[in-house]
Amino acid sequence: MEITQFQLDALREIGNIGSGHAATALSTLLQRRIEMSVPKVWAIPFEQIAGIIGQLDTPQATIYVKVEGEAPGKAVFFFPVESAEIVVQTLFGSKETMDLYTDEMAQSALKEVGNILVSSFLMALTQFSGIPLQPSVPALAVDMIGASLDAIFLEDGMLDDTVLFIDTQLTGIPKIEGQFVFLPDQGSMERLLGAMGI
Amino acid sequence: MNVVVISVGMADYKTAKAPDLLMTAGLGSCIGICIRDPFLKVGGMAHIMLPTASGSLGGNPAKYADTALELLLREILAMGANKSRLRAKIAGGAQMFSFPGRPPVLKIGDRNAEAVDRELEKHGIPLLVAEVGGSFGRTIHFDVGTGELRIRTINHGEKVV
Repeated sequence: MEITQFQLDALREIGNIGSGHAATALSTLLQRRIEMSVPKVWAIPFEQIAGIIGQLDTPQATIYVKVEGEAPGKAVFFFPVESAEIVVQTLFGSKETMDLYTDEMAQSALKEVGNILVSSFLMALTQFSGIPLQPSVPALAVDMIGASLDAIFLEDGMLDDTVLFIDTQLTGIPKIEGQFVFLPDQGSMERLLGAMGI
Repeated sequence: MNVVVISVGMADYKTAKAPDLLMTAGLGSCIGICIRDPFLKVGGMAHIMLPTASGSLGGNPAKYADTALELLLREILAMGANKSRLRAKIAGGAQMFSFPGRPPVLKIGDRNAEAVDRELEKHGIPLLVAEVGGSFGRTIHFDVGTGELRIRTINHGEKVV
């Protein structure tokens, strides 16, 4: 896959606008300040992802939403279990820690967080590109991050030698950290950039 | 004697001699293939991601069950192992996510497990243990000396098979 510097910059801008909306939504939802890193655009072999996310068997809460419409793709939000616990506690205004592995209320709250984040991201993308995009229902795994990501990236049974994705870190004060990843399907990146005249 | 733990990455394969261990972390729909010659106490591990290189988008052959197994076997045999003595254990092939109302037609974890099964049979290597399926991640350690495969999960216990 050939990608020019100009396209990379455009993708980073997409990431900036989309993730900015997502961060604002999270901030509103949790009534906390959320900071966002400068989005990074990666074009790497998937097997090198450990270099970005670190230990593959660290437990993380991963919310996966499929992006549907004329430029389909995948959106993933993942955070360390401790951060996810804080998010859930904040949402329920509860003093006690809920068990993310078993508590269905906590799990559906996390899915809802993912839904809100991804919807805001997609709304920004649609405004920007004019391409209508819709989120699927969210799915959740609280498990080893490597296992969750391999299932998402390999789901279609195909894997390009380089995968392209946008990655943004979200940091809440205090003690919330998460990562938002957008992975356009084959051809979607060209469609998004094309719609923006790039 | 010092035991070395040799780490196998995604789309990667390594060999080892007793008493060293081979490990791979965070298997989801991927599969860890462990093979050893119990007489010589040598073996190897591959971490495959997809069923077959044919009709695929190409790239690193260690990504695919069929080509990765060929590569791994070549190295194990080069260490002096006898093909007729080789035995295999595998783990992984989970389905981590499910979307209500849309059953995935061809789950990649299941397809990987079937492909590994088929390729091992093609090479005439008996499959002693297949810890596959489920909806949880696995980290595995394989002892090429004893043949023990330790499977660790986050919320589904730990076992040695």
